[in-house]
Amino acid sequence: MTALARGGHRATLRSRREARAAYLFLAPWFAGLLVITVGPILASLYLSFTDYSLLEEAKWVGWDNYVRMFTQDTRFLQSLQVTTVYVVVSVPLQLAFALLLALVLDRGLRGLSFYRSIFYLPSLLGGSVAIAILWRKVFGADGLVNAVLAVFGIEGTGWVGHPDYALGTLILLHVWTFGAPMIIFLAGLRQIPSSYYEAASVDGAGWLRQFRSITLPLLTPIIFFNLVLELIKSFQSFTQAFIVSNGQGGPADSTLFYTLYLYLQGFKRFDMGYAAAMAWVLLLIIAGLTGVNFLASKYWVFYGDTK
Amino acid sequence: MNSGKKKWSAALLATAVLAVTAACGSGSDGGSADGKVVLRFSYWGSDARQKMTEEAIKKFEEKNPTIDVEGEFSDFASYYESLSTKVAASDAPDVITLEIRALREYATRGTLADLSSKVNTADVDAKVLATGAIDGKQYAIPTGVNAFSLIVNPALVESSGQKLPDDTSWTWDDYVKLAAGVTSGSGGKVTGTQLSWNPAYLEIFAAQKGEPFYQGNQLGVSPQTITEWWGIMQNLIKDKGAPEAAKSSEIGATSVDQSLLGTNSGAMGMWWSNQLGAVVKASGQNLELLRMPKLAGAATGGMFMQPAMFYSASSKTEHAAEAAKFIDFMINDPEAGAIVLSDRGLPASSKVLAAVRDKLPEADQKTLAFLDEAKGELKDPPAAPPKGASAMEEMLTRYSEEVMFGRMEPADAAQKFIAEANAAIAG
Repeated sequence: MTALARGGHRATLRSRREARAAYLFLAPWFAGLLVITVGPILASLYLSFTDYSLLEEAKWVGWDNYVRMFTQDTRFLQSLQVTTVYVVVSVPLQLAFALLLALVLDRGLRGLSFYRSIFYLPSLLGGSVAIAILWRKVFGADGLVNAVLAVFGIEGTGWVGHPDYALGTLILLHVWTFGAPMIIFLAGLRQIPSSYYEAASVDGAGWLRQFRSITLPLLTPIIFFNLVLELIKSFQSFTQAFIVSNGQGGPADSTLFYTLYLYLQGFKRFDMGYAAAMAWVLLLIIAGLTGVNFLASKYWVFYGDTK
Repeated sequence: MNSGKKKWSAALLATAVLAVTAACGSGSDGGSADGKVVLRFSYWGSDARQKMTEEAIKKFEEKNPTIDVEGEFSDFASYYESLSTKVAASDAPDVITLEIRALREYATRGTLADLSSKVNTADVDAKVLATGAIDGKQYAIPTGVNAFSLIVNPALVESSGQKLPDDTSWTWDDYVKLAAGVTSGSGGKVTGTQLSWNPAYLEIFAAQKGEPFYQGNQLGVSPQTITEWWGIMQNLIKDKGAPEAAKSSEIGATSVDQSLLGTNSGAMGMWWSNQLGAVVKASGQNLELLRMPKLAGAATGGMFMQPAMFYSASSKTEHAAEAAKFIDFMINDPEAGAIVLSDRGLPASSKVLAAVRDKLPEADQKTLAFLDEAKGELKDPPAAPPKGASAMEEMLTRYSEEVMFGRMEPADAAQKFIAEANAAIAG
């Protein structure tokens, strides 16, 4: 008993010493976290309760910014609507597309790594300014899309310039960047033991049945992971809308993403307090959605080892 | 214990490295090592402007060996973001370039110094100079002037079987007819004109109806006028004198080089007169400036001269005298004028203008001749618009597009535009 206690004591002493060293190593990063991340976050929380023009001192206004957002600002509601449509349409489409291609690639094509790189490429480029500019050209009134349509005798419109279609082109751009979730899906598919499939095919299960009863359930943790990640990411989309609409969210506010409107309020209208309040509302929205996501995951995500 | 010591020293080293890099990050603040005064000068524009400005700065430094001017340059789209951030961080440049829409924003918030009697303005037209003054304080000195006008490509008009208008008497109906005629006459290869949502255009139209654009901290334009103004553009689209709404909004989001005029796919367009050089360069063709069309029976053409830019000094600068000296050089010194020419509008100083007149490129000679000829008809330059006016173009574009796409009734959109604009400029 005593020997055990002494041993335990020695162990805690050692681990404490190691912990101290670890904290020391972490100190520079920690200092950075405090100064560069936590500090500004708290500052923005304070600013969200002020009228702050950047040029003058901030004036405390209480809940004014938040109240104005939900009661008077129709453009805020418009930006919320645009962003919601964008997320709700583009994320499921993108994930479905990624899963489909992962399934195809998983069937052991020749030159797999080549195809994998090719399909991953848009993900590396998709968020970039260059691709957004390209997108504006491709979907422009005299762009590639209309040139192709003209071959079939269809007269297209200016897709990025039309309020009914501009958001659609951005959704397409997002779906096109399916590479990152695809790679994760591929890795997930490789984790599923092939013995399951062998057993199933012995029992006479077809491809679709195998997909529904083996692949999909075992892949749910990966789907969940991708869903959470992509939801958070697409709520914060900015570059594409900024470039395609030339920084305005037009035409007629049809591509006014939440973050774009936040930026316009902060830097173009000199209303940094309002912009800070918007940032906090976005944080709450994303946190809330992610929370719901995790709660709901109990009912549809299947972790093989817990059942 | 040995390994423990190693850990400690490694951690200390890491911290030390971080401290050193952090120290390197903080820059100099105003005085360089050789005792020169460092003056920071912020401006926006193209690469050509940057080269030109650097050359002018070199000249200034030759004449003032104790001053070292550092240009801080960015494109216009991101200019105000970086400027307002610098001001917020108490790191404002000593000399700041502004345009008229942002002037009141900065001046009334205590950012700018009063330059009265610090810079020689004897050769600047008093009315133009007054646009840089707010509440009797000269916060900003105009660099040069321009006027919002109509630019036309005569060759494209004529090859479409149309005639150039007599711009002293033409009406908005003539304008719509001419634009439609160009499109149909060229078989659709050339479009008559492109839509503009520049508030200056509405300001001119409103003046023809006897309404001021701003009346104190409110819009002076009536909903009726805005509706009529939109009517011109609706007719242009209907008669195919301008591209359909979707293409129009797409072109509207691009710069002057990508405009219909710039790409020789359109015969007309409305731009600031100092942009003539840029369009001519993009199109490679001979372009002319015209007076804006008028309402039948209007007492005034409504066109006005406006400073292209202003130079101002930070109220927090430690080198107020040097800042004023630099602004004085840029405004009044013919040697600076010979380098900058009409890049910042036709020089505001009459002396500089006289000195560089013959050196101006052809397009600017034309602008000068045009402004001289139309001078008698031009309204006085407007006072600096109210705070919040920099959002006007974005607002007007948004409501205009709603109307062009038929998503809002013009009368309703006009009411909403006025309400939103008034809220933005109220204070």
